[in-house]
Amino acid sequence: MKILVTVKLVPDTTAEKRIDPSTKRLVRTGVETVLNPFDEYAIEAALQLKEKAGGDTTVTIVTLAPESGKEIVRKALAMGADDALMISDPAAEGSDVWGTAYALAQAIKKNGFDLVIAGTQSTDSTTGELPGALAEYLGVPGVTYVRKLDLDGTALKAERETDTGYAKVSTDLPALVSVTKSINEPRYPSLKGIMGAKKKTIAVQTLADAGVDKPIGSDAARTEVTNLETPPARGKGQIFEAADAVAGATKIVEFLRERKLV
Amino acid sequence: MRDVIIFVEHVQGQPRRVSLEIASKAKEIATALGGTVHAIVLGKNASAAAEALKAYPVDTIHVAEDPDIDAYFIDPSVDYLEAAAKAVGPALVLVPYTMIGRDLGSRLAARLDAGQTADVTDVVVDGGKVACVSPKLGGTVLTSCAFKGDYGIAAIRPNSFKAAQSAGAGTIVQLEKPAGKTYRIKVDEEVVEAAGELGVEEASTVIAGGRGVGGPEPFSTILKDLADSLGGSVGASRAAVDAGWIGHGHQVGQTGKTISPNLYIAVGISGAIQHKVGMRTASTIVAINKDGTVPIGEFADLLVVGDLFSIVPELSKQIRAGHS
Ligand SMILES: Cc1cc2nc3c(=O)[nH]c(=O)nc-3n(C[C@H](O)[C@H](O)[C@H](O)COP(=O)(O)OP(=O)(O)OC[C@H]3O[C@@H](n4cnc5c(N)ncnc54)[C@H](O)[C@@H]3O)c2cc1C
Ligand SMILES: Nc1ncnc2c1ncn2[C@@H]1O[C@H](COP(=O)(O)O)[C@@H](O)[C@H]1O
Repeated sequence: MKILVTVKLVPDTTAEKRIDPSTKRLVRTGVETVLNPFDEYAIEAALQLKEKAGGDTTVTIVTLAPESGKEIVRKALAMGADDALMISDPAAEGSDVWGTAYALAQAIKKNGFDLVIAGTQSTDSTTGELPGALAEYLGVPGVTYVRKLDLDGTALKAERETDTGYAKVSTDLPALVSVTKSINEPRYPSLKGIMGAKKKTIAVQTLADAGVDKPIGSDAARTEVTNLETPPARGKGQIFEAADAVAGATKIVEFLRERKLV
Repeated sequence: MRDVIIFVEHVQGQPRRVSLEIASKAKEIATALGGTVHAIVLGKNASAAAEALKAYPVDTIHVAEDPDIDAYFIDPSVDYLEAAAKAVGPALVLVPYTMIGRDLGSRLAARLDAGQTADVTDVVVDGGKVACVSPKLGGTVLTSCAFKGDYGIAAIRPNSFKAAQSAGAGTIVQLEKPAGKTYRIKVDEEVVEAAGELGVEEASTVIAGGRGVGGPEPFSTILKDLADSLGGSVGASRAAVDAGWIGHGHQVGQTGKTISPNLYIAVGISGAIQHKVGMRTASTIVAINKDGTVPIGEFADLLVVGDLFSIVPELSKQIRAGHS
């Protein structure tokens, strides 16, 4: 069985982030890049399926990212994935959700797969829109927000989170799932894993190599950033030392009254 | 892009408030574009939701109650939406920025090869061009995004617009079942745990508890009581969720929900950056913390320094007294 895990490389959340006003894109130089934390759950889910299925099951990491991110992809290999496919091409710069989903789908189809596992969202854009679009372009069932996943041959059973509770669903491979952070506790790479990852293959492909037959970069994007602004910073408000509960509560009620919130 | 199509999410025939907010705003956008508003309501009890929608400014309400919509996950809904969007023609499609809204929006975008933009807090029409405003990078920048092509899909963050009743034409039409489809994801069981409750995303007041709350019990007693007194919902920091004191659906922050309530009261929460990015766009932020030097003091409108266990019940009491 071939399991592919899509991962995104994102700027560290705590890092200072800046947008270049001329290109209207995130300045990624000088900002530490990390694996999107949500994708670690996807990798862990794949590894657990592999451990259970045994045999010739493989886990391949797939990312659309600049080649400079290679060493971060290696972290996923250190966790235990078998190999990785990086689509790195200057022509992919500035691609939007549409372009990213389309390109990843072509690369994944060309590579071959039984199951694709994605994270729920990314910490830099937090859109959570890629997995659904990817499932469409792959033409396979796409089960999102999965918190429990079981495979029996090609029969897939999942429990997915919903806004009002949860649902149990079933489908068949090939399929795509996106997993939430309640599905597992991602492992830390072991020393052996880190050493082993150095010898694993990270194939770097251009868009053409990956079978992407349409332009997907900024010119082809379906969306265009027309303006960027820094919202007014939230100023420091009042700090009130409450002598006791009544004083504290009274202060809050007065404050809410002033703002017509009660 | 001339018309506006809105996907109306409903819980057992009751439109979710975010959908009513979107319905109220859609008319303004459609008028500026010289088009009309089409609402799409799907699934069991869709007719009831369509009736409720008549009090809002929508022109045409497209309804399908096909049992396949609930028997199979998402694909039937995408088929109906795609067919309706193609029948309407070039349009701006508005979905709620909720789990189902995101899912549907992204799939519809793929079907239409269209652009999509998420977590939109405002839509501006200028000279026939649509721009969607959304906070990015944890709210540190506001981007305006335009669409290229015939369709654009925007997922709207709850609490971005006011839900205002004002009846439109409200003509109801039944959608035809898309032909020749087979559905592959069977829903074996659907469990509704929180039907009547507003989620933290939709509530206009959120009372959130953190590690300082110390255990599960205060979430269902003093915090819930304060939330009830203000007509709000209970939220939490990740520390509280990870400790198992309250469900993940209540978590606010980078790995939880991003919300914009009118009032956010942070109780025993220090205000770490990962928490801040989920709630910094609240209109008013009040914090209760025993420590006057916590990070949340840097961006709360009011930080009351004191013990949460005595202040919170007293606050509920005073608010209730003020109302009576
Ligand atoms: C990748 C990543 C993602 C994350 N995502 C999120 C996220 O989505 N949401 C989130 O919230 N966090 C997130 N975090 C965690 C975040 O960094 C903080 O650890 C977390 O927000 C702290 O929660 P807290 O404020 O409840 O706890 P603490 O920081 O421990 O604060 C507890 C506060 O309670 C106060 N207190 C204690 N007792 C009382 C009392 N009796 N009365 C009044 N005050 C009292 C203390 O003074 C203290 O300020 C994430 C972290 C990482 C690394
Ligand atoms: N450039 C990318 N390369 C590979 N996978 C991606 C990329 N962007 C997003 N993803 C996947 O899609 C998920 C959701 O991301 P997003 O839609 O950007 O919030 C992530 O958790 C990844 O699994």
